[in-house]
Amino acid sequence: MQDADQVPVEPEKSSPNEAPSLSMGKWLRTNLFSNWANSILTLLGGFLALFALRGVLNFVFSENRQWDAVRTNLRALMTLSYPESQYIRVWVSLGFVVGLAGVSAGLWANWGGVSVKRVSTWLMGAGGLLAVCVLVREPSVIIGSDGKVVRTVEGSLQRESFLDAMVDRSSWWIAVVVLLAAGILLRNRFSGGSRRAVELPVTSVIFTGLGLAVLSLWIAPYGHYAFISETKSYVAESGRTVAFSTKLPWTVMLALLCGFFRVGRILQRSDYAGVIKGASNLLWLISPLTLFWVVLRDPALDYGHVISTDLPMGLAFGILGGLVLWSLTRTGVGEAGRLVATMLLGFAVFNWVAAFFGWYPMLQKARISFLLLAFAALLAPNFIGELAKRRQLVLGWLGVTALVHYLATMINTPSTVELQSSEFLGGLGLTLFVALIVVLLSFPLGVLLALGRTSKFPIFRMLSTTYIEVIRGVPLISVLIFFSVMVPLFLPDGMELAELAAVLTGYTLFSSAYLAENVRGGLQSITKGQYEAADAIGLTAAQRTGFIVLPQALTVSIPQLVGQVISTFKETSLLAIIGLFDFLRVANSVIPAQSEFMGVKREGILLVAMIYFFFNFTISKYSQRLERRVGLGER
Amino acid sequence: MWRLLATLFALALAASACGGSDSSDDSSASSSSSDAEETEVTLAASGESLLDTIKSRGTLNCGVSGSAVAFSELQADGSMAGFDADYCRVVAAAILGDANKVNFVSLTAAERFTAVQTGDVDLLMRNTTWTQSRDSEVGMDFGPTTYYDGQQLMGRESDGFSGSSQVSDVGGSVICTSAGTTTEKNIADAASEAGVSIELQTFEDFDTVTNNFISGACDIITTDGSALVGRKAKQQPDGENWVIFPATPISKEPLGPTYGQNDSAFADAVNWAVYATIIADEKGLDSSNVDMMLASGDTETIRLLGGEGELQSGMGLPADAFYQVISQVGNYDEIYSRNLNPVGLSREGSANAAWTAGGLVYAPPAR
Repeated sequence: MQDADQVPVEPEKSSPNEAPSLSMGKWLRTNLFSNWANSILTLLGGFLALFALRGVLNFVFSENRQWDAVRTNLRALMTLSYPESQYIRVWVSLGFVVGLAGVSAGLWANWGGVSVKRVSTWLMGAGGLLAVCVLVREPSVIIGSDGKVVRTVEGSLQRESFLDAMVDRSSWWIAVVVLLAAGILLRNRFSGGSRRAVELPVTSVIFTGLGLAVLSLWIAPYGHYAFISETKSYVAESGRTVAFSTKLPWTVMLALLCGFFRVGRILQRSDYAGVIKGASNLLWLISPLTLFWVVLRDPALDYGHVISTDLPMGLAFGILGGLVLWSLTRTGVGEAGRLVATMLLGFAVFNWVAAFFGWYPMLQKARISFLLLAFAALLAPNFIGELAKRRQLVLGWLGVTALVHYLATMINTPSTVELQSSEFLGGLGLTLFVALIVVLLSFPLGVLLALGRTSKFPIFRMLSTTYIEVIRGVPLISVLIFFSVMVPLFLPDGMELAELAAVLTGYTLFSSAYLAENVRGGLQSITKGQYEAADAIGLTAAQRTGFIVLPQALTVSIPQLVGQVISTFKETSLLAIIGLFDFLRVANSVIPAQSEFMGVKREGILLVAMIYFFFNFTISKYSQRLERRVGLGER
Repeated sequence: MWRLLATLFALALAASACGGSDSSDDSSASSSSSDAEETEVTLAASGESLLDTIKSRGTLNCGVSGSAVAFSELQADGSMAGFDADYCRVVAAAILGDANKVNFVSLTAAERFTAVQTGDVDLLMRNTTWTQSRDSEVGMDFGPTTYYDGQQLMGRESDGFSGSSQVSDVGGSVICTSAGTTTEKNIADAASEAGVSIELQTFEDFDTVTNNFISGACDIITTDGSALVGRKAKQQPDGENWVIFPATPISKEPLGPTYGQNDSAFADAVNWAVYATIIADEKGLDSSNVDMMLASGDTETIRLLGGEGELQSGMGLPADAFYQVISQVGNYDEIYSRNLNPVGLSREGSANAAWTAGGLVYAPPAR
């Protein structure tokens, strides 16, 4: 992946195959009305599209829609029970992610530009679509002075005349005119040839769009909605801009994104670009865990305990483990190293068995550390020799120990955030958190499984194949139910698995099996010549896999991997079945159960569908860019 | 190599020593963390009453539905509101002295009894009907009924139905209800008993059922009367009149607190917390006048509120347990009016009126 990203990429230009610029009439004739069959299809498709559009618009703007149900419940949809007083933590977490995204975008991507022609086409297209929307929506019903719908004597609804409706929608017409004017202006500023050649940076276009969206929060009267906890009632004031506690954070988020993008751009040219890129990758891996367990939960650390136990234990593992690894990587340590590593592994595994039967007490952290040390010791033979390599291993060990002990301590410390119900994480927050963690964790596991299944050693092959086939043979929902209902019954007395942890474990195991098969598809596309070439220049098996085989295999599997990410994100809605409140469940069963909004369900579900689409479309678009950049589909 | 082994041995010894000596310390810190990945928890010794567990834990884990309109609904700010939720608060106020020390756990109908058996929740306030099989086979015990519900039907006045209609009048209608509940069986039984043929359609949940009723796909919908009244109050379109019948429901659905069986101390605490709200209602004692009544009420009131001759201490509750209940949450009528009046359910004339007013809500005397 890294190699692929560093290839300098040509800014996105019109491909040489693209047809020459045509006038509007010519374009229509070539593409939509080339013969009579084509014309019929165009007309039919056009009518169907208009019909569907009309249906959606009538639904959204119907007088029967209670959008207040969604507006007042926005916070429940996003984070459910997370208390408002602690909301700064949510914003800090989001700000961190946004900032990191900004730096990464500046550091890594060569964003290129979009031609003026395209931008003007988008603007005019948007204006045209908006005009069509305003035209096709049925006229509104007339609301009488008593706030109720006016009906005829027979009881049918009375709608205003078409002309009145158009006049009522004058603000929409203004938007149409602005969009069209902007598009035409842009188009006419540049002559035919330069329209295509002159490019605006993609990032400027995106930031301008986001900037306008944030600006509209300050100007447009979206309405001011709030839920008052004391009186358990909703306060809705239309005609006002959104609450200050919404406007300000989003403005700050935009500033963070732009600012950190600039920083990333500057860092990209600095001498330390490589190190900073590595650091940003590491932050992406660590930040979901840290933000959730440390920032959002605000653990109540008992400093006495930290100083008396946690710190000494971390230091002991770091220093003594480092010494062990240092001595294991001496030249000439030979078979003794492997023997020690195997013994360590035996001891570590025995610890877990003992935990299961409750033979002797030991901190979970110590058990994990021993297991990690055993794995590090198994890796040690690869680092035998030069001082620099040995130092690398020991420093890596110290880093991993520090991180694991820090997180384990934080995870084991109770949260101080006072919740109104038992759901710490809910709504969109839960959906995103689960999807992110599952994708992050299942990726390495999936790659390992794929390598295992294509391995020469029968034992690895057999184990991986069995695992993959068993997991793929059962539906996700049964895996989730197994982990949330069955596994707690198997655990020894006194060991508990929190619901969220159970879900994450089960979902990761499930997802990695599918991911493994996607990666295996990529592995199979690598020709035998690549392996032989790698062997011929004397690479070890690990080097061959890491530097030759995997980069190519993963590149080939990008489309499937992205498909896997998207389906992982969407299938988080199954969490509702085992009792967690993802945001689909909030829309589907929490809002309709509030006495204020009894039975109001469709509005929330439409919003949820739109949010799902937004995320998945963004992922999909980004992956298309990635594919173009690594030249996938062109070989 | 021996040097290496010796280092390793020393390391193992050091780590397990410092791990072993402090493990109890660490587990007590982690047991209260619900999000901990894997924590070692010392279970309460068997034979101890749940009452002591709750007191030492400091919170009451109360299982509710979370999506039952007016009974337990998750609010926009994540808090739980409703009749059942308030009765969880009653129990918390009695045992812990603070109505806010409740951890609400939303449970589906399928997982509710398992949650009690595994100890995930201390009690259920989850529209759970008291039945013989649940009391015996399922291994639950039931507290005093807080709400007398019963299955009824709802039709349109324009279809010729009225409040005095009977099940025998619904022949040939399309009747809809939610799938997989006893309502389905009840209406089928009632129809065959009345000798009428009906077309029964079931949908995933009652929101869908109601939407089909509004769109005209269903002639009649049926479920518990409390839910029907709420639907009528909130979802009846202009120009239509929905009617609920028959006056005597076709099933009995007594709803109340449910807990694991054979824990007398805890059962007594829950039951008397509920009775206290009912007695307070009978005596006109509410959250506004509780301080005054503590000084000037009759002997039973004073006993109940923790004055002279109080009986709460003997039950393992604080002496002022019920004073806290009334002052923090209120009496039965306050809880009822606060939660159920807004959706159109009124006490007058229903089974939930006080026994002195012809209803069934009755509590044994506090003496």
